[in-house]
Amino acid sequence: MVDMWYTLNIYRRLISISIRGQLQYRVSFVFDILATALITALGFGTIALVLQRFDNIAGWTVYEIAFLFGMAETAFGIMDMIFSGFDPPYFGRRVRLGSFDQLLLRPVNLIAQVLGSEFVLRRLGRIIQGSIILIISISNLEIQWTTVKILMLPVVFVSLVIFFGGLFIVGAALSFWTIESLEAVNIFTYGGTEMMQYPMDIYPNLMRAFFTYILPAIFLLYYPALYILDKPDPLGMPPFSPFLAPFVAVIVFTLALVFWNYGLRFYQSSGT
Amino acid sequence: MPSIISVNNLNKHFKIYKHHRGITGPLRNLATRKATTIKAVNGINFEIETGELVGYLGPNGAGKSTTIKMLTGLLVPTSGEIKVNGRIPWKSRKEHVSEIGAVFGQRTTLWWDLPVIESLDLLQYIYKIPPEIFQNNLDEFREMLELDPFLNTPVRALSLGQRMRADICAALLHNPKLLFLDEPTIGLDVVAKERIRRFIQHINQQRSTTVLLTTHDLLDVEKLCKRVMIIDHGELVYDGKLELLRERFGGKRKLIVDFIEEYDQISIEGAIIAEREGSRITFHFTPHDITASELINQLSSRYRIRDLEVREPDIETTIRRIYEERLLE
Repeated sequence: MVDMWYTLNIYRRLISISIRGQLQYRVSFVFDILATALITALGFGTIALVLQRFDNIAGWTVYEIAFLFGMAETAFGIMDMIFSGFDPPYFGRRVRLGSFDQLLLRPVNLIAQVLGSEFVLRRLGRIIQGSIILIISISNLEIQWTTVKILMLPVVFVSLVIFFGGLFIVGAALSFWTIESLEAVNIFTYGGTEMMQYPMDIYPNLMRAFFTYILPAIFLLYYPALYILDKPDPLGMPPFSPFLAPFVAVIVFTLALVFWNYGLRFYQSSGT
Repeated sequence: MPSIISVNNLNKHFKIYKHHRGITGPLRNLATRKATTIKAVNGINFEIETGELVGYLGPNGAGKSTTIKMLTGLLVPTSGEIKVNGRIPWKSRKEHVSEIGAVFGQRTTLWWDLPVIESLDLLQYIYKIPPEIFQNNLDEFREMLELDPFLNTPVRALSLGQRMRADICAALLHNPKLLFLDEPTIGLDVVAKERIRRFIQHINQQRSTTVLLTTHDLLDVEKLCKRVMIIDHGELVYDGKLELLRERFGGKRKLIVDFIEEYDQISIEGAIIAEREGSRITFHFTPHDITASELINQLSSRYRIRDLEVREPDIETTIRRIYEERLLE
């Protein structure tokens, strides 16, 4: 307990250093947030335009898609802010430059230190944008709210954050093996979110199988969304499928930590 | 004295993959992973006792930093055994690093945006340093390392010498039993180097902190270390007293004598006249043939001497000879 309090306290102090550093450049900070918000808005704007033409994608209306989009964007944005230190390109650079050494030299839990090493506030842009889309979606959807659905929403949301966090940790850990940057990792981290913004039934079988059995992203947003929006399951999975999100998230995150600890043994530091 | 560091048949091998160029390069890198193994550290053994101050030398790429990184727990050895303070560094990382201090001259361990004093305060919390100890150490180090002028400056704005002093202070606040210094004087001017040397010596003598030091500046070694270890191509090629190293490989000592008058015929058995400049003559001799005192005795009994000076072969020349001629193989 004492140890955990100590670690949390250090995490809090490290974060405040990072935030103070970012606030030193106020103008650039505001522009960063605006730019990020604009980019996210453009992303959804494109889908909305397409939907106006075709009315729906695989039976999903614009507001239903907006629900998926808003959930995925907001959760990813929050994760991206909390897990900034694990952001694979950022962490990869740290490993290449050898500045990861300094974390290894301190007698503090490594995960807490990496989380504390960076806390990128400009991700707020994505979070604000995502939550606006989510609110617009929910207020237009006329969801039949039940106690289960009301409880489900925050649980699914937190599960998404944890799940994305796990992907970031795996992506970061890959840089222990290779000194060059691995752009391929982004397919799973950023690509994973993009993929979840659409209904799963639009994807080819092989890809869906991958996101069901190998990286079970399908249970994190698609199935909970089917349940909340009272949509039939076109894929015929077991009836408990909408409730798997927290379990999948915890398992993926735990495996990510195991992978990270394994990868640490291969850390090579850098010359000199 | 018990060993504080013991290293047994330690190996660290890196696999280097051949990199393809161009757009398809990364894909081909994955497909054809041709690896060459680099033996950065190859089967080294040594023990260091509590309170020793040991110089760890070797040319670039010899394996110095790799060894230090394994000792500090940053790298996991390919094989072999390391015990530091009775622990295996990488296995109990947190306990291990709480009892050591480490300074890597090439990069800082402080927080870039924080003023020095705030970095030090944060370290007090991280290392759980009791307030009295922290205050005593800080007062002492502030004075010795002259930190006061830049205590409130952010680390990013410090000069190299200031940063190094701040880093050394930071590495010692928690009273570590063991201090690892990787190139602590690199890029510093003569005055700054001297200040750091004096401080290292002070810490080693007053607190019996064990120090392992890598450096390219052989003056560091000469002024600080009684014992040196030399690594080359991943292998430990010398481990012993600095004196012995000089005797074995140092080549010739010099005796420079100013005579009161010019002598045409001077000969001493065991010494060679290397230079002659008016009444000043430089003799070369090896301790094996004749000792300095014998030589001086013989000269002063036969000739009239105004002044004389004995010059030791400098360690730089000695070590360069070892690297270049690979004398120890």
